[in-house]
Amino acid sequence: MSANLAHRTPSSASDAHGSVPVASAAFKGLLVALVLVGIAAFAAALSSGNADRAWQAYLVNFLVWLGIAQGGVVLSAAFYLTQGRWAGTTQFRLAEAFAGFIPLGFILFWGLYFGRTLIFPWVLHPIAQKAAWLNTPFLFARDGAGLAIMTLLSLALVRISRGPEARAWQLSSSDIDLPPPILRKIAPALSICFAVVYSLIAFDLVMSLSPAWHSTLFGWYFFGGAFWSAIVTVALTAVILRGRLGDHNVFRNPTVLHDLGKLVFAFSVFWIYLVFSQYIVIWYGDIPVETFFIVHRVYYMPWKAISYLVVFLMWLAPFVTLLGVRPKQTPAILGTIAFGGIVGVWLERYLLVVPSLSQHVVPLGWVELLITMGFVGAFVLCALPGLDLVAAAATSGEMQEGHE
Amino acid sequence: MSGSVEIVGSFADEIGCAHGIEKLREVKAIGVRVFSPIPSHRIEHAIGKPKSRVRAFVLTGGILGIITALALTIGTSWEWNLDAGGKPVVSWPPFIIIMFELMVLFGGISAVLSFLVHARVPAFEIAEGYSSRFSEDRFGVVVRCEPADSAQVESILRDAGAEEVVRAAAWPRADGNAVVS
Repeated sequence: MSANLAHRTPSSASDAHGSVPVASAAFKGLLVALVLVGIAAFAAALSSGNADRAWQAYLVNFLVWLGIAQGGVVLSAAFYLTQGRWAGTTQFRLAEAFAGFIPLGFILFWGLYFGRTLIFPWVLHPIAQKAAWLNTPFLFARDGAGLAIMTLLSLALVRISRGPEARAWQLSSSDIDLPPPILRKIAPALSICFAVVYSLIAFDLVMSLSPAWHSTLFGWYFFGGAFWSAIVTVALTAVILRGRLGDHNVFRNPTVLHDLGKLVFAFSVFWIYLVFSQYIVIWYGDIPVETFFIVHRVYYMPWKAISYLVVFLMWLAPFVTLLGVRPKQTPAILGTIAFGGIVGVWLERYLLVVPSLSQHVVPLGWVELLITMGFVGAFVLCALPGLDLVAAAATSGEMQEGHE
Repeated sequence: MSGSVEIVGSFADEIGCAHGIEKLREVKAIGVRVFSPIPSHRIEHAIGKPKSRVRAFVLTGGILGIITALALTIGTSWEWNLDAGGKPVVSWPPFIIIMFELMVLFGGISAVLSFLVHARVPAFEIAEGYSSRFSEDRFGVVVRCEPADSAQVESILRDAGAEEVVRAAAWPRADGNAVVS
């Protein structure tokens, strides 16, 4: 589906420079191998008595990588809403690069159906008061419908955004014209649906794993994290492509990395703000039915260590490191923080999911590692057509103004 | 003052204005003063402006705010020992909010006050070469130079895209509003 999108994109003269694909055949082979390893590990875990861990790793990775892909498209929508055109077409191609994973993520969602008895405690032990909401047909119907809407809206936005009319607008940063009318409708619709659908995903696929616990803010917290995970992935991609696309690419322009660094910084603060907002209310009320979720994760080993590591990777390190202008513009620093951010988001999703199901042991081993590698392979494979478009845009010379 | 002339160039566009300033600095014009209708990092960079000293005052204000908040929250807790739900008397998580808010308040007030001092605002004299359109939609570059260099300065301003270049002598200074065109 992603390849399909790439072919539809009209190639203008400015794209001619980027005809060399970003990934070599060997690298693609490696990615395919990763996917096969992941599938094999998943199958092996299922048949070797590690089925619960296999499904937990599946759910964690599903949430992480679909969150990044979807958050990226929302980031593109945010660029339209704010009329941000600080890096021409490149910033839009970059944010949309991972959209190829969204259709695959939609398919992977249905895979959860087969692991439902191992993932959702309420399938085998229904809770009478919540049965009207927490039952298998309704959960898969509502979440499936939500993800279907998100997939269609995202693909529509990406396709229109890569079209000639939108590209002309993306390049005309000195004009104050509004984006093309169709995007003025899709971008806000997509952003609102993202908030609604990903809140639903957070409630259904994460919060319901611990069905006695609830937090109204949890949905915001979850999709705020997904949005940030997309921003750090975009920043890491920019840093990597900066070194690979030769001496003349948009990412050589320090203002572009500076702007990406600002986004990483700002939404890291937003994330900790949401963490604290939930924590303080639960701490203040001190009601056992609310506190157990946090006490279990923050006050007792082994989960305590992971909690602190997540806060370090997702807030403390980005905040302290990226406070100044110079670190934001330094590729090695921004890249390291962004990579740490992706690891942090993975651990955070892991921390949300797994302790609900595995109380006292941290199941981190070959099952989790290999399944994660499989997802990484699939994610990057799906992103390759989009990354080729990023490379084309970044080397097209449209941003000469900023090169100084 | 005698022996030097002032030349005023007005620009419609920020980038051209910044390029013009950079060129002028290369040929060592004696003094360059810039009027900008918007805050512009590009122009600040072009005139080689040092980093603002306001920043140090904001940092100090922010730290003072945090200290004040700690004193206020911990002090009042000790002053009125209230056991709430078995929590310690000094229960710090909610203090973070007070610390944050007072940091913002003190930092913000320090920023405003130190800005006023450093920018010498309010100013009761209008700077030479000012025109009210430099507060609307035009950038103004005022160059003071030797009369012998004036032709070169004028051509640099024009090459950088100045809409008009005038000698300050011809500039009506009474109210700054009558524009030579």
